[in-house]
Amino acid sequence: MDTNPVATEEVEEIDLAPTEELLNSLPDNSRGHLIPTLNKVQNAYRFLPEPALELLMEFFSVSRAEIYGVVSFYPQLMIVEPGKYIIKLCYGTACFVKGADIIGDKIHEKYHIKPGETDAGKLFTLQTASCLGNCGAAPMAIIGEDTHGTIDPEKAIDMLSEYKIEDEEMPVTEEVG
Amino acid sequence: MSTVAKKALNVKINGKETTVDEGTVVLEVCKQNDVEVSNLCYNRKLKPFAACRTCMVETVVDGKKELVYSCTHPVAEGMEINTATEETDRYNKACLEMLLVEHPLDCPICDKSGVCPLQDNTDLLKLYDGRFETQRRNEPSIKSNPIIEFYLNRCIMCGLCVRACDEIQGVQALDFHKRGMSVGIGTANDEPLDCEFCGQCITVCPTGALMDMTSGARGLAAMFTETHSTCNYCSWGCTVKLETKKGEVIRIEGDENYNIGINEGNLCAKGRFGHGIIHNDQRIENPLMNVGGDFQEVTWDEALQTIADRMQATLNRSGPDSLAAIGSEKLTNEENYLLQKLFRDVLGSNQVNNLANIRAPYLNRFMLDCFDNGITSQPITKLQEADVVLVFNSDLPSEYPVGGNSVRFGTVFNNTDILIANPRRVVFESEAKVDVRLTYKHGSDVAVASRLTKIIIDNGLIDVNKAKSSIDNYDNMVQSLSSYTAENTEKLTGLPDDVLTRAAESFARDADRFVLVGNDVLDTGEGEEVLNALLNLCTLVNFGSTGSVSIYPPREHCNSQGVNDMGLTPEFLPGYQPGKTSRDLFETCKDGTIKFLYIAGEDPVQSFYKPQQVKDALQTVPFLIVTDVFMTETARMADLILPSSTYAEKDGTYTNMSRHIQAVASAVIPQGSSKPDFDILLELAETFGKPFTSSSITEIQQEIEQAAPIYKGAFPGKESKQWVPAASSKKPAFKTVSGASEPQTTQDGYPYTLQTNNHMFHIGGYSQYAKALVEIGPECIAEIHPDDAKAMGVSSGDEVVVESSSNKVQVKIKTSRVTSPGMVYIPKNWPKVAVNDLRNGEEGLIKVKVSKSS
Repeated sequence: MDTNPVATEEVEEIDLAPTEELLNSLPDNSRGHLIPTLNKVQNAYRFLPEPALELLMEFFSVSRAEIYGVVSFYPQLMIVEPGKYIIKLCYGTACFVKGADIIGDKIHEKYHIKPGETDAGKLFTLQTASCLGNCGAAPMAIIGEDTHGTIDPEKAIDMLSEYKIEDEEMPVTEEVG
Repeated sequence: MSTVAKKALNVKINGKETTVDEGTVVLEVCKQNDVEVSNLCYNRKLKPFAACRTCMVETVVDGKKELVYSCTHPVAEGMEINTATEETDRYNKACLEMLLVEHPLDCPICDKSGVCPLQDNTDLLKLYDGRFETQRRNEPSIKSNPIIEFYLNRCIMCGLCVRACDEIQGVQALDFHKRGMSVGIGTANDEPLDCEFCGQCITVCPTGALMDMTSGARGLAAMFTETHSTCNYCSWGCTVKLETKKGEVIRIEGDENYNIGINEGNLCAKGRFGHGIIHNDQRIENPLMNVGGDFQEVTWDEALQTIADRMQATLNRSGPDSLAAIGSEKLTNEENYLLQKLFRDVLGSNQVNNLANIRAPYLNRFMLDCFDNGITSQPITKLQEADVVLVFNSDLPSEYPVGGNSVRFGTVFNNTDILIANPRRVVFESEAKVDVRLTYKHGSDVAVASRLTKIIIDNGLIDVNKAKSSIDNYDNMVQSLSSYTAENTEKLTGLPDDVLTRAAESFARDADRFVLVGNDVLDTGEGEEVLNALLNLCTLVNFGSTGSVSIYPPREHCNSQGVNDMGLTPEFLPGYQPGKTSRDLFETCKDGTIKFLYIAGEDPVQSFYKPQQVKDALQTVPFLIVTDVFMTETARMADLILPSSTYAEKDGTYTNMSRHIQAVASAVIPQGSSKPDFDILLELAETFGKPFTSSSITEIQQEIEQAAPIYKGAFPGKESKQWVPAASSKKPAFKTVSGASEPQTTQDGYPYTLQTNNHMFHIGGYSQYAKALVEIGPECIAEIHPDDAKAMGVSSGDEVVVESSSNKVQVKIKTSRVTSPGMVYIPKNWPKVAVNDLRNGEEGLIKVKVSKSS
């Protein structure tokens, strides 16, 4: 697994109550519930914190190797807290042919992140996807919740800059509000 | 299995007709009929998996042809199986070819070279010219633990290691990580492997992706010389394959071939990686004479002459019974037999004994009582077919790890129920559908066993009348159990009655039952009572229910059974023929009765539960001889030390805890001038002027067969046998067990009870000399419950002082929910943490207090 040194530096106290609540709501501890539970835990924390995974290991009687085996099978499941915006850059056939990898390189040049990594400011996490089902608008990417079609390297960087500006402004508005 | 009979099916394999059990997979049928089918991921000890896709065969059932993967496809009535057809070869070749694209051809430095299933299959399918361009991976090898190297470039993703770790060992330290092209086996986040280090993954790996770093040579394993022998650590008696190169033992492997030994190729960390004791700088290489406190090397002639002279002088001056010998639970049967023969026949002394018998003479009586009650117990090879296994006060993965493997096999393939009764919440992962845990209060063993018996009677789980009519004192036994009511028992054991009832129901049903009793019962101070209570339980189902019951006395070391069989006890001659009872050996040493003591390969100062009494005794004995491999605390007190050989340097037999007599075979010549105890004893008798008439292992075995009729025809050739007792003339009888009484568990100022047994990686004194075992088990770590730790203000990693009324030790601590509240667990295998000093001869639960070390 890729580990992000930036993320491990901060040791934050994780509130395990949401995980406990999830586990308590399960009808039994059969392993069939493992993957849905992992999804729900990730939805609660945006990633899978180690202490939460330990609760799951005990609850489902799975070993450390097994649970990390499951987690590492699905790129969507993350054990490191991602940046504020997850960039899902489509690497499907159509997007790839239209130069998705060049966009990826450009993002790396600007933010020093490769697929699976998070930038130093913890704003962006870059992920690649096999196909996001929007081939007509290739190459495309999903940033946070927004879908962007027919992008190119320059457009991509401009778009990301906008998210960055928005983010920098946001704390101010929050404080005012 | 007594309960389910498997149907026999008629099948035809490559035109040849044969019958097989229903449920067998096609590949297994092929193997049983010596028909070779390519395959890489099949292992009969594991559940079918079908990862490698190279075992395709053609089957025809009712005229319908199918191509199936033989490792997962069960046989059907009338099935015709055709292997290696043009079609199946084409498919199998294609799959193997793809595996070979990535596989490195570094065979000369690969540990599997020559014994490699990948090589064999490539050859079998005549796959010499691949069609694809080769693309080797070049990842560095991972050596993040001291024992098992991961060289994943060779991995073919068969999953055997992952499955062995899970299904055989119950550990799940390995799994597949990531997926697609980047999938790989390993630990979570590539963390260093932290497991039981059984090494099953190395044995099952078909390619050398996992390697034994303790091995003294790399590559071309086919060129190693193999010697099959029996492991010298615990009493389970696993068959090991000692692999030698240029006269040195390089490594130890399990042999997974059919019908070899009792362990199906399974081994534990000690058996597999504990070979560091064989070639070792710290071994005693020459006889040593104690000259004024200093040990000086002497020749064998001098040493033997000194002993012979001293024997004669003592005999003349003080009579035969002033000479005594302690036989060894680690010496072979033949050596132990010769030792008692020297003392009984040549010197005329009946003062022969062994440490287990000095402490617990009731173990042999218990075994004989079982025989009298018609419980002769099945061979341990049948354990994996058991319907119910009761593990009583034994931490199976530490005490009998390979026993645990067999039980797990049973849970996967034969629906074995597991009942684990232990004062600690011991870890035992398996796939058992019925898995009852009886975690009882420390010291309440008798109550647990007695309540189980009472529930079986009260709830009518067996044919009570049948039991009653078969055994005269049935009513007395029922009477003696009357105080073990649900309420009383719960108070004593902390176990709710419904849990005990579930266990009793499983145990009493029509079943093949096995009871594995741990050596921990000796430490309860009520060992005899516990065994009697278990005997009653077993006798009751033996007469009142159907199926079978097997129970063995707890035995600790590799030949703890054999040393008793050979008559190394004053009360029994070889084969349990009556001898004469005698006073406690160490007492008679201490009071000056014994003038000459010969200790063969034992270290009572370190290992006996009364260290101070032993020291006093050995100081008093005028002449002490110790034979051993390494310098021990006992040897340091000797007048003369004779260097003996390790198990890899001698021939003979060990008898395991289930009475299997198995061959020990020499793989290398003895180090230095050390000799097998067998040779030492022969030469000593000769020097004494009364040489034995028989002088070879075979001759002595013939003599043993005469002296101990139970051994008649039992000495092993290729296959080993369990010795069977002669039919008993005594009537079966229950034992009287004392009623429920509150055990004294608290003593002012000493709030904890001490539990101690062998660590997973160590047993006896030798394992501390095995480099690999010290690397994985470097220091003694005591365990306490987290709640207790919190109350004391200590946490994992702290040093604490554990103090009993007689002594104290300092030890590092770790918190664990395995150890129950109110209990301190300390493994007994580190001389620096002398747990026996805390006991200091006291029988029963030892009360201790724990304080943070300043």
